[in-house]
Amino acid sequence: MVSVAFVAAAASVATGTQQSTMLPPAAPDDGSKHGILRTVWDFTFRMGLRYIKNSYKDDPFRTFLEVCLIAFIIWYITKQKYNIGTNEIVLSEKEIDELVEEWAPEPLVPELTEFEREALDKAIMIDGPNGTKVRLASGSTSKPVLNFASYNFLGFIDNPDIEKRAIETLRKYGVGSCGPPGFYGTLDVHMELEKQLAAFIGHSAAILYSQAFTTTLSVIPCFSKRGDIIVADEGVCFAVQQAILLSRSKVYWYKHNDMSDLERVLKDVNKQLVGRRGKNALPRKFIVTEGLFQNTGDITPLDVLVDLKRRYKFRIILDESYSFGVLGKRGAGATDHFNIDPHEVDLLIGALSLALGASGGFCCADKDLVEHQRLSGLGYCFSASMPGILTVAASDAIHALEAHPEGYLNNLRENTALMRNSLKRIPGLQVDGALESPLIHVRLSPEALVRMKRSGGAWTKTDIDRVLTELTDEAQKDGVLLTRAMYVDEHERLLPNSSIRICVSSAHTRKEIEKCAHAVKSAVSRITSKKR
Amino acid sequence: MGKGQRAIQNYKSTEFIEQVRDADGLVVGAAFKAPATSASLLQTEPTSPPERTVALPQDKPREGELDSVPSFILVTTYLSYLMLIVFAHLRDFFGKLFHPEQYVQLREQNGYAPMVSDFESLWTRRLYGRIRDCFNRPITGVAGGHVHLLDRVSADFNRTFEFTGRVRKVLNLASYNYLGFAQSEGPCADKVEQAIRECGLVQGSSRAEAGRSRLLADTEEMVARFVGSEAALVVSMGYATNALNIPALVGRGCLILSDELNHSSLVSGARLSGATIRVFRHNQAASLEAELRRSISQGQPRTHRPWKKILVVVEGLYSMEGETCCLPELLELRRRYGFYLFVDEAHSIGALGKRGRGVCDHFNVDPREVDVLMGTFTKSFGAAGGYIAGSRRLVDYLRLHSHSAVYAETMSVPVLAQVSSSMRMILGEDREHALEGQQRLDQLAINSRYFAQRLVEMGFMTMGDPGSPVIPLLLFSPAKIPAFSRECLRRNIAVVVVSYPATPIITGRVRFCISASHTREDLDYALEQVSEIGDLLMLKFHKKTAAANKKHD
Repeated sequence: MVSVAFVAAAASVATGTQQSTMLPPAAPDDGSKHGILRTVWDFTFRMGLRYIKNSYKDDPFRTFLEVCLIAFIIWYITKQKYNIGTNEIVLSEKEIDELVEEWAPEPLVPELTEFEREALDKAIMIDGPNGTKVRLASGSTSKPVLNFASYNFLGFIDNPDIEKRAIETLRKYGVGSCGPPGFYGTLDVHMELEKQLAAFIGHSAAILYSQAFTTTLSVIPCFSKRGDIIVADEGVCFAVQQAILLSRSKVYWYKHNDMSDLERVLKDVNKQLVGRRGKNALPRKFIVTEGLFQNTGDITPLDVLVDLKRRYKFRIILDESYSFGVLGKRGAGATDHFNIDPHEVDLLIGALSLALGASGGFCCADKDLVEHQRLSGLGYCFSASMPGILTVAASDAIHALEAHPEGYLNNLRENTALMRNSLKRIPGLQVDGALESPLIHVRLSPEALVRMKRSGGAWTKTDIDRVLTELTDEAQKDGVLLTRAMYVDEHERLLPNSSIRICVSSAHTRKEIEKCAHAVKSAVSRITSKKR
Repeated sequence: MGKGQRAIQNYKSTEFIEQVRDADGLVVGAAFKAPATSASLLQTEPTSPPERTVALPQDKPREGELDSVPSFILVTTYLSYLMLIVFAHLRDFFGKLFHPEQYVQLREQNGYAPMVSDFESLWTRRLYGRIRDCFNRPITGVAGGHVHLLDRVSADFNRTFEFTGRVRKVLNLASYNYLGFAQSEGPCADKVEQAIRECGLVQGSSRAEAGRSRLLADTEEMVARFVGSEAALVVSMGYATNALNIPALVGRGCLILSDELNHSSLVSGARLSGATIRVFRHNQAASLEAELRRSISQGQPRTHRPWKKILVVVEGLYSMEGETCCLPELLELRRRYGFYLFVDEAHSIGALGKRGRGVCDHFNVDPREVDVLMGTFTKSFGAAGGYIAGSRRLVDYLRLHSHSAVYAETMSVPVLAQVSSSMRMILGEDREHALEGQQRLDQLAINSRYFAQRLVEMGFMTMGDPGSPVIPLLLFSPAKIPAFSRECLRRNIAVVVVSYPATPIITGRVRFCISASHTREDLDYALEQVSEIGDLLMLKFHKKTAAANKKHD
């Protein structure tokens, strides 16, 4: 096949013509410089040509074959490419014009339903500062109402010390950081808070994100890629669902908080991987769940989870957004609650916007994994860093919590227990979640719903939502602010049952808790007595 | 060679400016009549008279006037990268041979797959690692016209850093502080302080649940007024504004046509939506039209059913290129093809246009013609977060159906106060500081044009449209990228350098972000230093042309 190259050279110019015409033209004036080059080129070309001539003389058929081969290669390279697998139809320009003319897109967004319109019109609007008591701009009363709707587990939202420090910070750092962390957006207070968080939780390192939802959305796809495996709880919150979607990993779901079902899935997954070969023989495998579930208030049995993780060689990604600052003796979250070394949780995601009354989120992990996120965590790399004010607010909140953990947490637990006990006694109400969870979902019990429906008609989701909205309205009349747990119904994987979410705070007094429970009780009795 | 081609393309879009100096010593475009003062520079904005609504801005690339990137640079740049990659592999090879313990985390261990694969991390470990000191430089205080950097050194080739405890004040050409609202003093900061005293810090709930405050509602109204649309929705984070709202607009059976250089948040949002995603050539309406004709006529893949909706997603001002989108052409196409247009104004809002209303103002287009206007407050307003503006129907729907409104925390009080106070100032509604907003806009326009023109004059290769506050300067070679950054830092200037993967591999660049808070002295100092560095690093690829032009004058 060596001769092919020569043939190619020769064939492209067409054989048999005068030799001199094939030689590259050389300028006569720079003979001295190009003389040698020219001689070499001349010589090679002559040799090549002679070789072809000889080969043609010896074996003309072979030369013919080679020429054919070259012709084929040229044809193959230049011919029209076609795509395999598309079923595109060839259309004339006129037909395309007609189709374009005909095409009628749907409206960008659908019209709101009547119920949604009402919900939007009556949406809660807070006037002035948030806290355990708020003034409403939306409701009928101008008197302050008790706030059981905002996440303010430790009462940091209206902490005057934090506010004072916030103003000091404003005078030093301004508001926005005006850039992503990579481009001069990393403040010294960011680095301090990162260290503080890692130390508080007991992990190696931490990284800050500027919004809690986006933290989850960035961390999971940063490590779990296409081809990797995620085993996730069915009851995880929407942020985790979206993160899994974005990661494009293979996902297996296990029944909500059911460790035996989890074990079954883990076994299944490992069995499927046996005998797999090649590049992706051992994908990264993750168990993804929440410490304290946003949608139910349940707590993951982390001890069992860690045991399973070790046995089946998975890694844990734990969303501690709701458990951080709430569970455990020190308030360090689920690992603290179960007394587990935080290093067992490979990626620990937390929020600063819920218990700490600041904004943003963080991820605790090994140093290498945190550094990896600084380039590959999309929400970190591609968005502005957290404002200094909120960073310092979070930092102060942790300091305060570290200084008096009992003060905050005992209060919170007592209030939670009191609230749960009082709510449980209300007939027609179903109270979900673990005993320690200050996040309480209350639902109308199925029996109550059956009783309320005239002539046994079926309840639609909108009907239940409407009833729950009435319930919150009633409670608001009694001076208690409650909210229905909101979801984007059409995008949730498994839409949780409609509920009212009550958030207990350590800053609530005993009396306020009782007042809330009482308001719920009377609202429920008023609502359930009405037939519809 | 696709990327090389694109580099040439990018380069060609650089505007070439002939030099005429005005009384101020400022260089102005020769296409315009000699301006009397520097303020008249503003009239030379491509914002132009209203009759030019559909016509292209006249300062689009004039082909043929520029020669292409010298092939010498192309070849050497590719060769340098090749060298770097070969050495990276060699170092990995020998490293694994002699120090296997340092590579443990890249191997399968104890039945666990490595968290970060060997191949994926090669770039980070071996190429990015060499120049890590140029990124994530920590600062303290406000990222204003000047910024205080925490001095740090590395004893182990950038693996770890140690702080020396010194703080150095450097000129800030890196932060997106276009209008200079990154301040800890002044009327905006006072308003923020007042807001914190009155309303605390955060609301502790999502907007749809109990997070709506009067301050939030007022700010949303003001944003709508500012942008010129019916209503607006405010989101607490810029990235989330795109990533969490696009899924509410389109879904399965819909098509997203996305510019190839769109920001990562737009890509995330598009992926989360579940819609089919197709990409068109950067800023090329012809490419978009071809894709539209093909997509509409063919319908959905396999089934050929018509698309439910088509959403075209573009950015107003591309932050790595400094180019504005071809909005008039896009609107023309929108009229013809009936798609919905989503414009990400993250960098253009507040920075472009005579009144600072972004790219619509820049092209003199009615903002209501754009279906979805998205923007952020991080840049021009010195705050954080973003907004979506559009028709009332759109915004009402998003208030109940967008992921950010339902699940994510609402914008905090200080940020809201910063947004509303700075916006009020630009709008001229702040009586005490009625003129300051317009002054800042003018200052930014003058500064950006001045800086860009002087760079071109010196013979540098810059990119971007005139008037853009983002001015990228091409460095090409990977070795020049950290060198430029370090040299600048040595001369007390903070700049952002970017290379692959944020840009095409060939066109590594430094990006200057001009601010209204820069004085003429600041800019002159920077230009002088940059010029010196340019000589040092041989970056004045156009020196001959520039010199020739000077002689011509």
